[in-house]
Amino acid sequence: MAGLKLAYWPGCVSRGFTTELHGSMALVAERLGIELVELDRANCSGAGVIAEHNQELADTLNARTFALAQQTGAPMMNICSTCQGAQSECQQRLDADSGYRAHINETLAAEGLSYDPDGFSNKNFLWVLVEDYGLDKLKAEVKRPLEGLKVGPFYGCYILRPKHRLGYDERPDRDLYLEQLIEALGGEVVEYDGARKCCGFPIITMAREVSLRQAGTHVGDALDAGADCLVTPCPLCHLNLDMQQPEAAKIVNRDLELAVLHLPQLVGLALGFEPKQLGMGRHIASTEWVQERLAAPAPA
Amino acid sequence: MPDHDVLVIGAGLAGQRAALAAAEDDVSVGIISKVHPVRSHSNAAQGGINAALNPDDSWESHAFDTIKGSDYLADQDAVEIMTQEAPKELLHLEHLGVTFHRNEKGELGTRAFGGASAARTYYVADITGQAIMHVLYEQLMKYSDEVARYEEYFTTGLAIDDGGACVGAVCRNVKDGSMELFGAKSVILATGGNGQVWQPTTNALICTGDGISMAYRAGAVLMDMEMIQYHPTTLAGKGFLITEGARGEGAHLLNAKGERFMERYAPNKMELASRDVVSRAEQTEINEGRGFPDGTVALDITVVPRKRIHEALREIVLVGQDFAGVDITKEPIHIKPGNHYTMGGVKTDVWGRTNVEGLYAAGEVACVSVHGGNRLGANSLLDTLIFGRRSGEDAAERAKGREPARPSQSVLDDEQARIGEILGREKGSGRRVSEVRKELGETMDKHVAVFRDEAGINTALETVKRLQEEARSCYIDDRGSVFNQDALGALELGYMLDNAEATCVAALHRTESRGAQYRTDFPERNDEEWLKHIDLSHKDDAPEISYSDVTMTQWEPQERTY
Amino acid sequence: MAAYTLKVRRFQPESGDGPYWETFDVELDPTLSVLDGLLQAKDRDDGSLAVRCSCRAAICGSCGVKINGQSALACKTQIGEAKEIANRRDGGSEPIVVEPMGNMPVIKDLVTDMESTHWTKIRRVTPWLLPEGDPPEREYIVPPESMIDITQSMACIQCGACVSSCLSMEADPDFIGPAALAKAYRFVGDPRDAETEERLHDLANDPHGIYDCTHCFSCIDACPKGVAPMDQIMRLRRKATAGYEIDDHNNGMRHEHAFVKIIESKGTLDESLLLQESFAPGLKGKLAPRPGAIKGLIESIPTAIRGLRSGKMRSLPKLIPGIHPKLPGDAQDNVRRIYAHAEDHSVELNLYIRGEEAEEDAPVPEAEAVPAAAIEPEPDEGGG
Repeated sequence: MAGLKLAYWPGCVSRGFTTELHGSMALVAERLGIELVELDRANCSGAGVIAEHNQELADTLNARTFALAQQTGAPMMNICSTCQGAQSECQQRLDADSGYRAHINETLAAEGLSYDPDGFSNKNFLWVLVEDYGLDKLKAEVKRPLEGLKVGPFYGCYILRPKHRLGYDERPDRDLYLEQLIEALGGEVVEYDGARKCCGFPIITMAREVSLRQAGTHVGDALDAGADCLVTPCPLCHLNLDMQQPEAAKIVNRDLELAVLHLPQLVGLALGFEPKQLGMGRHIASTEWVQERLAAPAPA
Repeated sequence: MPDHDVLVIGAGLAGQRAALAAAEDDVSVGIISKVHPVRSHSNAAQGGINAALNPDDSWESHAFDTIKGSDYLADQDAVEIMTQEAPKELLHLEHLGVTFHRNEKGELGTRAFGGASAARTYYVADITGQAIMHVLYEQLMKYSDEVARYEEYFTTGLAIDDGGACVGAVCRNVKDGSMELFGAKSVILATGGNGQVWQPTTNALICTGDGISMAYRAGAVLMDMEMIQYHPTTLAGKGFLITEGARGEGAHLLNAKGERFMERYAPNKMELASRDVVSRAEQTEINEGRGFPDGTVALDITVVPRKRIHEALREIVLVGQDFAGVDITKEPIHIKPGNHYTMGGVKTDVWGRTNVEGLYAAGEVACVSVHGGNRLGANSLLDTLIFGRRSGEDAAERAKGREPARPSQSVLDDEQARIGEILGREKGSGRRVSEVRKELGETMDKHVAVFRDEAGINTALETVKRLQEEARSCYIDDRGSVFNQDALGALELGYMLDNAEATCVAALHRTESRGAQYRTDFPERNDEEWLKHIDLSHKDDAPEISYSDVTMTQWEPQERTY
Repeated sequence: MAAYTLKVRRFQPESGDGPYWETFDVELDPTLSVLDGLLQAKDRDDGSLAVRCSCRAAICGSCGVKINGQSALACKTQIGEAKEIANRRDGGSEPIVVEPMGNMPVIKDLVTDMESTHWTKIRRVTPWLLPEGDPPEREYIVPPESMIDITQSMACIQCGACVSSCLSMEADPDFIGPAALAKAYRFVGDPRDAETEERLHDLANDPHGIYDCTHCFSCIDACPKGVAPMDQIMRLRRKATAGYEIDDHNNGMRHEHAFVKIIESKGTLDESLLLQESFAPGLKGKLAPRPGAIKGLIESIPTAIRGLRSGKMRSLPKLIPGIHPKLPGDAQDNVRRIYAHAEDHSVELNLYIRGEEAEEDAPVPEAEAVPAAAIEPEPDEGGG
C-alpha cells in the first residue's frame, strides 16, 4: 500500500500542551511512508463544548474542516479521540439531512468551501493504522519489538461511543484495536478495569474532584494490574492521566507514577526511535521505567 | 397494620388513576403492586386511546362502533358513560403532561384504528400506554403524601369480614418476605388480565389473573370469561405484539400467495375490521394452506411512508429488529393471531362496584362490560382510565364517615400458613411449577383460542382439572424470604388455573359464536338464546353458572359486517 | 437450538456468604434472549435464581443487568449475539457473563435496589409538570416538534441501564445521573411547563447536576430505547447557558463561554488561556475575581507549574492574552464570519425528530431550504 496520503488534522492540544504528540506523529508518519497534508487553516472541533453552546456553530465549523480536507483530495485523519467524536457528531447531522447541509454549505461558500458527504472519511490514527495501513505491514516495520513491556490500553470515550455514530456497525472491533496494536508491536496487553472508561477531563474545570477521581482510579487500577505504562490515542485523556496525575493521586489518596504514552510514541518506540526524539521527557509522570524496560534484555 | 380508607391493588393505569382520583377526595389511599408501578402491563398498549373529541365526531358514533365491535354483548349504559367521558379524560391527561401527537396547528392529532368509523385514536408514537402510565406515576410521586405506595408487595388474598364485606388484603413484601395485613374501608382491584394462562401471549409474565382469582374466591361474580381476544398481529412463537397502529397507518395483510386476503372477509374495512374478524380471517388462511410454512401470514408495513414509520411506529421498528431480525421498513413481517386481552373478568357496575360489599374492580381485571365479545383497539386504555377514576371516586365516597376496617388477624395467619405449606413441600415431591404452567399455556392455546369446539374445550377443561391437582404438590427450590420469586410463582399458578377453569366452563356453555368466542360446532350468533352474559360464582370449589341480561339502551343488534 | 453457558454473578443475602459465580448450561434458539436463557435456568435448574422481568419485549424495564460488562436489558439481548461478544477477543467458548447492574446495591442475585439510587434521583428533579395557572379548556396548543422532541425522553422505561453504566456516577455516587436528567429535560423541553428557568437554575448550580456529566456516552450506548440521556443533558446545558445565561457555581457557563470565545478569536484552543478565562473571564474577572474563581485558579496552579517545568506549556497562564497564534491568513476571519452567522441564526437539527434515513424516501433537492419541521429555533435569550 504505497503512498498513503492523508489530510491531517492534528487538533489543538497536540500543538499546545502536548507538542510531543504532534512531533512524534510526524516522525512515525515519515517512517511509515504516510504523507500528511496538514490542515493548518482548519479550526478546533469544539470538543463537544461548542455544540453544547450552539449546534449550528459547531456543525459549520466542522463542515469547514471537512471541506478543507476534501480540497486536498485525501481522506482525513485526526490524532485525537475527542476530535474524532466531536467531528463525527457533527458529520452525522450533516450527512443525515441534505437541506440542513445545504444551509451550512451556504455559510461556507464565502470562503469557497463546500462539504460533500460522498466519499468523505475522517479517521483517528488508530483506525488508520489498523484498517488502512495494516497491522501486518506495521509488524514488518518494527525494529524494536516492545517485548516485556506491559501496556494498558486507554481508548478515550470519543472513539468508543456511541457505537452507531462511530462506524461500529461496519467495524465492530474498533474497541479492540489498541490491544491488537500493542500485540502487533510485540508488547503485552494489560487487562484492567479502566481501559474503556472516562479519564474525567471534560469536567476538570467544573467538577474537579470527580474528574480527577476518574483519572486516578484508572491509573491506580492499571498499576495494580502490573502495567508499565498506558497508551492513549487522545491527548485530552493524556492531560488528565499524565499531567494531572500528581493531583489525581491526592484525590484517590495513593501513590501514582505511571507513564502515559501517546499512541504515536508507542508506535515510534517500536519503530526504533529514541524516547527523547519522541518527546517522552516532556511528560509529567516519568517515562524512565519504560525506557529501562525496553533497554533490558528481552525475557527468555 | 397499614390502614387506609381506600386500598388499590395493582398499579397499572387503572390502579394509578383510581388512587389519584381517590386522593382528590381527601381520603387516605394506599396503592399496592407486585412489581414497581411503571413495570405494569399498561406499558404494552401501543396504539392509542379513543375519544370522540373532534367536533365532527360524536360519542354516539364511538359508542356504536364499540357496541358493534363487542358483537352486542357490551352493556350499553356503560359504553355510553365511557364514550361520553372520554374527551374530558383525554384532555385531563394532556393537561397532566402526556406528550400526545400534535397536528400542524399544534392541536391533538389522531390516527385511524380498527373497527372505528372515524379517526379518533390519540397517541404518543407507539408508546401511548407507557407515556400515559409514566405521566400518572409522575403524579403519584407528586402526591406522595396523599398516596402511600407499596411497591413490590404481592397480594396473596383479600380480607373478608363476617358480613361478607371486603375489609382489606394480605400481602407479602417481596423484598423481605414479611407478610402484612392491610385494613381498608374500600378495596379496588386493578390487577389486570390473565394472558399468561395462554402460551404464547402478548401479555407480560405478571399477567396471571391474580385479581380475578382472588375476587372469585372472595365471592365476587365473574362475567364473560369465555371472551378472550386474540390479537391479529403477533410474532409467531414469542407472541410479541405489533400494534394495530401499523394497520391504522395503512399496512396490508398478505397471505403466502401475496393476496390481500381481507378483501374476502371484510371488503369495506379490510385490515381495519374488528380484531376478532381479522384474527379469524388470518387463521382461516393459515388453516386452509394459504399461510407460510411457519403458520403465519405477513404484515406489510413497507407501504407506509418511511418518514411516517419513523415518526409513528418507532417501537415496532425496534420489535422487528430485536425480536424477529426483520427491518419492517424494508420487508413484510410474519405474524399470526395471538392471545392478547381478557374481555371478561370481575363483574362490576358502572362505578366499579362488585357484588362483594366494599370490593371494586377496574381495568382489565373487571368486566363492566364495555368490551362484550370483542374489544376495539384503543378502547382498553380508555376503559382503565374512565373506570379507574370512577372506582376511585366511589370508593373514596364510600369510605368517608365509615368506621375503620377491622380485618381479622386470622386472615393473615391463614395466608402465612398457606405460604408456609408451599415452602415446606419436599423437593422432588411433585412437578415443577414451570412445567405445569407450560402445559397449561399450550393446552389453552390449542383448544380455547380463535376457533373452538366442544371436544377441544372439554379436553382443555379436563387438563386444567388435572393440573389443579398437580399444582397442589408442585415443589419449589427457593426456601428463602428475600425476593422469593419461586414461592410467588406457585401462588400465581393457582390464580391462573382458576382463570383457565372459568374460561373453559363459560366457553363450553356458550353454544353460539359471538365476538371472540367462535364455536365451529355452533358457527352462528344466536341472539334469541345467547344475548346474555354468563356469570360464574365460586361454589363447592367449582364455577356455578348463572346469567344476566345485557343492558340495551338505543342500539338494537344488527348483522355485523365490516 | 444451540447450547450456551451463562456465568451468573449470584448473591443470596440470607446465606451469610458473599457474592459468587455460578454457571448454567442452557439450550435455546440463538435468536432468543439472554432473559430466556436465565428463565430456562431458573425453570429447570434453580428456581431461587432471582431476576426481575415481566414483559420480555423491552417495554417494562425490569430486566436491566450487565451482560459481558455492558449494561443492557436481558430480554433485548439475543443470546447468540451475547455469546459472540463474549468470545470476540479470544474466540473459543467463554461463557456469557451476567451480573447485576452497577452503581446500585444488590438485593439478591440480579435484583438491585433501584429505590435507593435510581428512584431517589428521579424524584430529585421534581418529575412532574408544573404549568402556570389553570389548564385551558381544551388542549395546550404547542409546536408538534416539541412533543416529538420530549417523547424521546418519555420513551425512557426507567430500566436503570444508563445509571448502571454511568462513569461519572462511579466517581460521584451523588451525581443526579443520566436517567433523572433525561427526565428533567422532559419538563424543561415541554412548552407547557412554566418552571423552565427555575429547573435549569437548580440543575446548573447543583454540584452533582448537569456539569457533573463527564460526557462519556456510556448512557447512550446502554439505553435500550434510544433516549440518549447524555444528549438530553447537553440540551439542558445549552438551554442553561445559551438560552438563559445561568451563571452557575460550577463554572459551567463560564467554561463554555470561554471556550467558545477563544475559538472565535484564535481558531484553535489554548488550554492555559481556557483555564484562566473560565475561572476569571475578561479584565473584570482579573481585577475583581469571584471567590470560586480564585479557588479554581489556585487549584490549577500546581498543574500549570508542572506543565511549565516539563516544557509542556509555552507560557504561564497568561495575564496577557494573545500569544497563542490565530489561524493563518484570512482563515480566522472566516471562522469569525461563521460565528457571526451561527450565533445570529442558531438552528438545531434534531435527529430524533428528523430521522436519519428519511432521505431514502424522497431526496430533498440540494438547493431547498432547511425543512422547517426538522429544525427547532433556539429559545429566546433569557426568555422566561
